[in-house]
Formats: sequence, structure tokens, C-alpha cells
Amino acid sequence: MPIDGMFDRTVGVLGKVLDLRNRSQQIISSNLANIDTPGYTPSRLRFEEDLQQALDDKSQAAAPRHAKHFDITGGSLEQVSGRVERLANNNGLGDQNGVDLDQEMVTQAENQIYYEAATQMLNKKLGLLKYVIQSDR
Amino acid sequence: MDIFTSMQISSSALSAQRTRLNVISSNLANVGTTRTPEGGPYRKRQVVFQSSNESFAKHLDNASKQGIQGVKVAEIQVSQAPLRTVYEPGHPDADETGMVHLPNINTMEEMVDMMNATRTYEANASAIQASKRMALKALEIGR
Repeated sequence: MPIDGMFDRTVGVLGKVLDLRNRSQQIISSNLANIDTPGYTPSRLRFEEDLQQALDDKSQAAAPRHAKHFDITGGSLEQVSGRVERLANNNGLGDQNGVDLDQEMVTQAENQIYYEAATQMLNKKLGLLKYVIQSDR
Repeated sequence: MDIFTSMQISSSALSAQRTRLNVISSNLANVGTTRTPEGGPYRKRQVVFQSSNESFAKHLDNASKQGIQGVKVAEIQVSQAPLRTVYEPGHPDADETGMVHLPNINTMEEMVDMMNATRTYEANASAIQASKRMALKALEIGR
């Protein structure tokens, strides 16, 4: 992860987390919207492991040398996009709809709280920068 | 990455559930209707939901947005369940044996359906709240 000017790696990670949480919220909305649709299989976005892996990747993969080269090192932060997993359908009611309302609501609350936590941390980061910039006065 | 996508999905669900509630109201209102424009007693209507990706562009979009689908009312079906019959010789629509055909509507079923629609509506409304809060939080970054 290159350090862009005054923003460090954490800012990049937090930005990525916001993106992924937003996508996760879209998928949860979609599950909730289709709670009465026969045959609908709910999905869930999983990205925690991928993100962890990207963060553990200390090798700091070199940027491709040419704009048209593909980066084959993998695991870099920009490439984390999460995987959409289909959830098993086992409510046994026979309508082939696997949406579990309680589960969706809990996941939604969790997702929202993590999102807000990430925005708060971003704010703290930016606040620090601001403090440093203004400390000369 | 559009922050309003999730709200649009939930709003598609809100309008689908509202349609369902309209249909349920219509069923409940017509629970004793023996005369309809198409002749015979009223028949129960029921909605059929279908997950929706309205346009080609959305299908194309799905490659990158897999797992995201709104919902729409596919059709409003006329129930073919048998009509209720009661013996009521004094009724103007009674047949020669004194039986009256009444709509195939079970009030209890409709009430349960109505509660279900209300709860689902609420769940989706709260999904909109969550999305909205997230969007507002994002606007506060860097304040």
C-alpha cells in the first residue's frame, strides 16, 4: 500500500472498509426485500478474511511496472472486493426462500455499527491531521 | 459504488408490500360480495412476488453487483380455490337449491397475511433507516 502524501495506510484501509460495508448493506437490503419471494436464496458478503490477508501481506507488492501489466501478486488492499456467498436454505417450510428475518436484522445492525465505527476512526485520523496543521498558530 | 442502491432496493420492497396490503384490503372488503362485474361471487386475489432486475443495464450491472436484487409484484393472481357455499334460501343470489356461493376468502388467513405484510414493511423501512444513517455518517467524514 503506497503512502499517498500525508494519508497513511490506515486511511486506505478504512476507506476500503466503508466501501465493503456499503456493499454488504446493499446485499442485506436485497435479502430483506425478497423475504416473501418464493425460491429466493439470500446472500452475504464475506470480506474479513480477504482484508486480513491483504493487511498481513507485508511484502508490499511492487506496483506493476507498466500500466498495462496485471498485478499478479494478489492480496493487495485495492483488490479486496469480498465474496458473495449464498446462504443455505434450510427453513424447511417448502417455499424455497431462505431469508431469516432475525438473522438479517442482526447482521444489518452489526454492519451499520462497524460502518459508523470506521467513519469515526476516519474522523479521528483527519482530526489529528488538522490539529497538526493548525498547531503553528 | 452508489450509496443509494440499497435504499432503492428497500423501496422496491416497500411498494411491493404496499401492493400486497392493497390486495388484502380488497379481499377483506369483499368477503361477502356475491356480485361482481365479471359475474359470480368475488374471488380472492393474491400477489406473486418476483426478484427484479428491471432493465438490461441492470442485468449487465449484476456481474459486478451479484447478490443484489430488488423485488416486484409479478402478478396479482385470482385464486381458483373453491367458493364457500352456505344454505340461505332467502338470499337474492341463492340458486334453486337455496345455496349461496360466497367468496373463497378466509378472514383469518387474510389477517395473518396482513400482519406479515406489515412486519415485512417495517423490516424494510428499518433497512432504509440503516442505509440512510450510513450515508449521513459518510457525509460527516472530515467535518
